[in-house]
Amino acid sequence: MEPSILSGAGSGSRETMHRIRRVFVESLHLNLPEENFSYEDQLDETVGLDSVAVIEFITALEQEFGMTFEPEMLTIELVRSIQDLAAYVDSRTVRASGLLNERRDF
Amino acid sequence: MAGPEATLAPQPVSDVDPKPLAELPLFTLHDLLWLFYLYPLRLLAAILPRWCLYAIGKLSDPIIQFQARHRKASAALWIARVCDTTPALAERIARRSLSNKAVRYLDQLVLLRPSAAKMLRCTSIDGIQHLESALALGRGVILLAGHFCANRVAVRYLASHGHPVLSVHNRRPSNKCEGRLGRQFLQPRSIRLQSLAFPDHVYIQDPNCSLSILQRLRAGGLAVIHADGRGRTKVVEHLFLGRPWPVPAGIFEIVRLSGCAVVPMLCLGRSDGFRIRFDPMLDLDRAPSRDAFLSANLPCFLSAVERQIIQNPEEWILWNHQF
Repeated sequence: MEPSILSGAGSGSRETMHRIRRVFVESLHLNLPEENFSYEDQLDETVGLDSVAVIEFITALEQEFGMTFEPEMLTIELVRSIQDLAAYVDSRTVRASGLLNERRDF
Repeated sequence: MAGPEATLAPQPVSDVDPKPLAELPLFTLHDLLWLFYLYPLRLLAAILPRWCLYAIGKLSDPIIQFQARHRKASAALWIARVCDTTPALAERIARRSLSNKAVRYLDQLVLLRPSAAKMLRCTSIDGIQHLESALALGRGVILLAGHFCANRVAVRYLASHGHPVLSVHNRRPSNKCEGRLGRQFLQPRSIRLQSLAFPDHVYIQDPNCSLSILQRLRAGGLAVIHADGRGRTKVVEHLFLGRPWPVPAGIFEIVRLSGCAVVPMLCLGRSDGFRIRFDPMLDLDRAPSRDAFLSANLPCFLSAVERQIIQNPEEWILWNHQF
């Protein structure tokens, strides 16, 4: 999937967005309230200082949601917007749980 | 050799240029050499045979040596201490290192030719089994290298033989010898030239840098990282070749989080005859936390590169660099 497709992916669920914000704060050791900050601004600031921070965040998200990002999706565009990121995470986790259900049925 | 202690908390270092533009001279001898390289020599390089290019490099060598005479003198002291050699031999090493650095730039012009892949003559590849066994693990491989003059031709050679390697470059290399002409006009052109010669690269300043490396590693590919690069943003201070060295801490985070293998690579020579050596992959301590991973593996990363430098001091190009 190309990153540009993400822009039309729609919003992820509120719960996913909440979890992403929590992982963002925890994995990057930010001293911020979980709800009351601009994710996009904070991301720009953090990544502007250190691009390694993104992979810390990505790997923490993978642990949190029990999924792996596809290699071709690993660009800064993926995490630029929390709505797009949540939509992507939801699509991946739904797909993973769908596969699990199919296996159970089988 | 590296000392046992390392300051483990990554320390932010300013990423701004050391001297404001207004304080720089209009141009320096260094700038004039770059101007000659980027324009007349670059154009000539498209038509001249390679031996002719090297001959021009040889003719320019006295000017290059003169321009760097002060740096060379302090480099010789450093070399004598690290390599345990006589002052005369250390001076010769400093001189050869500088000449090899110039050859590296001439080879960059060779790499710009459409027929570059056919012009690269690799005389031997040792230890390819180490690379293959690391690749077989399927988690990608970081080629750990020092700043040796043949790295770039070797990377292009590997790419043309089925092993594309992602290189990590610095878009704003520090250069205390440049004037305003160099910083404002020549450096951007030099970087553009470098991009043309190495299409498969990422800049450390890009927000996508680490993700691009991770992407390559997760696809089971190769990325080359210089352990002797001096970090600017997040660094760990450690002794390297007897000097406090700001080692970029990000390398260790990428290795820890990707779970990739690390294989030291040494490239010696020049485009008309170079050799590549892969050493056995590093036996990493897979400590789970960032600090523990760093403290456990930093000495092993640096000593792998230090050994290569001490064994081949003439080919390491940073002795004369003014940090």
